Amino acid sequence: MATLNSNGFVLTTVDELLSWGRRNALWPLTIGLACCAIEMMHAAASRFDLDRLGVIFRASPRQADLLIVAGTVVNKVAPMLKLLWEQMPDPKWCITMGGCASAGGPFPTYSTLQGIDRIIPVDVYIPGCPPHPQGLLYGILQLQKKIKEKGVNKYDKAFEEFRKDMERQGLLPREVVV
Amino acid sequence: MPWMNQVTADRVKREFKEVEVERTKHTTNLHVRQEKLVDLMLHLKEKEGYKLFVDHTCIDFPEKKERFQGIYLLYNPDANERVLVKTWAVGGELPSLEKVWPCARWAEREAYDMFGVVYRGHENLRRMFMWEGYSHFPLRKDFPLEGIPEVELPSLTELYAGRTDPPSHDYELVHTRVPTLEDLERTEKSRLQKKAQLVLNWGPLHPGTHGTIWFLFDLDGERVVQSDVILGQLHRGMEKIAENVYYFQFLPYTDRMDYISAICNELSYVTAVEKLLEVEVPEKARYVRTMFAELQRINSHLLWLGTGALDLGALTVFLYAFREREKIMDIIEGNAGFRLTSAFLRIGGLHYDLAEGTLDVVRAFLKDFPNRLKEYHNLLTRNRIWLRRTKEVGVITREDVYDYGLTGPVARGSGVPYDIRKLEPYAAYGEVDFDVPVGEVGDVYDRYLVRMEEMVQSLRIVEQCLSKLEKLPKSAPFVNKEHPAVMAPKEEVFMALEDMVKNFRIVVHGESAPPGEVYASGENPRGELGFYIYSVGGSKPYRLRIRSGALYNLSIFPKLIKDGTIADAIALLGSLDPVVGETDR
Repeated sequence: MATLNSNGFVLTTVDELLSWGRRNALWPLTIGLACCAIEMMHAAASRFDLDRLGVIFRASPRQADLLIVAGTVVNKVAPMLKLLWEQMPDPKWCITMGGCASAGGPFPTYSTLQGIDRIIPVDVYIPGCPPHPQGLLYGILQLQKKIKEKGVNKYDKAFEEFRKDMERQGLLPREVVV
Repeated sequence: MPWMNQVTADRVKREFKEVEVERTKHTTNLHVRQEKLVDLMLHLKEKEGYKLFVDHTCIDFPEKKERFQGIYLLYNPDANERVLVKTWAVGGELPSLEKVWPCARWAEREAYDMFGVVYRGHENLRRMFMWEGYSHFPLRKDFPLEGIPEVELPSLTELYAGRTDPPSHDYELVHTRVPTLEDLERTEKSRLQKKAQLVLNWGPLHPGTHGTIWFLFDLDGERVVQSDVILGQLHRGMEKIAENVYYFQFLPYTDRMDYISAICNELSYVTAVEKLLEVEVPEKARYVRTMFAELQRINSHLLWLGTGALDLGALTVFLYAFREREKIMDIIEGNAGFRLTSAFLRIGGLHYDLAEGTLDVVRAFLKDFPNRLKEYHNLLTRNRIWLRRTKEVGVITREDVYDYGLTGPVARGSGVPYDIRKLEPYAAYGEVDFDVPVGEVGDVYDRYLVRMEEMVQSLRIVEQCLSKLEKLPKSAPFVNKEHPAVMAPKEEVFMALEDMVKNFRIVVHGESAPPGEVYASGENPRGELGFYIYSVGGSKPYRLRIRSGALYNLSIFPKLIKDGTIADAIALLGSLDPVVGETDR
């Protein structure tokens, strides 16, 4: 932990400093898939105001380090979402918002992906259909706690495994002839 | 709304000898052989005035020889009459109607995707919601709801934590097939052949597309030469779910279709089911339904206003609109216990009685909201940037409205006063007084003004409902629990034996509906949301077709944006205001 000595200096480790910076500036990617996206917008608007947690929505995956999967992920969207997740630089985190993204929710059908964790490793699951904006806030606070406690090292390994998994399934983009 | 009258039916019968006119309890059907279908449709459109194409779908009867029956729903705006045209798909084929009504193209694509019915003469018959290479037809009766599990997709969360056997939580390892990026690229290429310089993909995961719509623009510089829309990025199989659950169980799913106006969806659905089951609704419930549907309409229009303005760069409007949305959502949450997907209505009434103090809160909202509306007007209506971005952009003519089956504010923006609340009053709309605003030019700006005025009219309706509800005694019934298909309120279930037995029976066995077919629709913020229920008896619908207003409103997009610019596409899409949950279902 950081300690403040009498001369006004802060003593801490580099890891702790990085983790402090990372968890207080989680920039999510602006993606809304379904109903939960509306609640996500509400969380970002003036009443709940995500900005005060340092959560600022970014339009490009290259600038984002948090993916909030808000809404039903259907099979057709899954590879695109995975591609966006791939484009996000490490370290990165993923929050599933709502029942559909977490486990298929009320849609056990032919077209719905039964849980986004089948294609993207998830850090925090938020239940609800859709969750209240407060639920999303709580989820983000949980993620901050997780980053504080666990650091980010495990993600390097996880990412490597994930990339290999993509390659094995042939999901990396290639030229296609029609 | 009445159905085709006898005189017209006789006239059609004289013209087309082999047409059979069938009058069921709730509909009038014309049966025709498919060779004569196009002629009959042309006749109905041009001679008889059935101009508005409402919907087309198919029903699968696996035991019949021809198997698929095509169903067309048309509307005559002059006589205010509907008609259903039915024809059998001989050899799994039907003639395409895209020459008669261009929007039939999308409906036919959907029927092909879901049933595998081939349309002769369709310009590009491709998968509507699924991707190229998907090998099943989901709405066929022999296809299971949960699909066919093909690939093993374990949970990565579990995988990284160390996979266990049996799995750490209860889930199926084997999953339906997920497409590869190649599949999606093939889908894209099959939809649009490049003619100009560059094909630009807009969406599906783009904040400006208001959901997961995938646009393809073939660009010459900034000019759009041709474009196409790929849907299905939120296709959750609603219609298939409906065939597999009881009537009351499908109600929460309707919330998740057009998730911005959940109560309006519920109202359309319960109207249809109550018509089929012949349930009378108590007066109080009707007024509460109307009031909440109108609050929801304001809520929905505020979201359209906020995001539409945000797309054109006006961030302030977004924040202001969301401030008011929070107030309405609090009212809804206080009554239904849920902010967004509320499941407040029930077949035969409401889930809960009005919460203590609701009427005072609504009264305060009514007092406050006109000033807020003035704020929005100050920000936008005479704003020069707003005017330049929206005037003379995306002009929809009256003919387009009928050809493309446009409804809701999009139709009214072009001067067509098509409003189900007036034409076929449901809930308490027949007993309240309100105006239907219409535009003149039919551009983006007109649609903006129409929606702004609709909010004022909604306030009027809410005001009248409020006065009525204040006069009604507090103990007035809010659900018609005498009807055998209506569940009693929860509190009474715990107190009375017969109510408990009835609820138990409905939950286990479902409501038993009489055989027959019914079409009922409601005026949603996004146009006419209709439910066509084909029942063969029993507690589940044999086929439930959802007529989505947003889908048909979106179908005109490629035509309007042709020769426009990319910047116009954003303003135009904002004014059409589709919600993907409803277009894809």
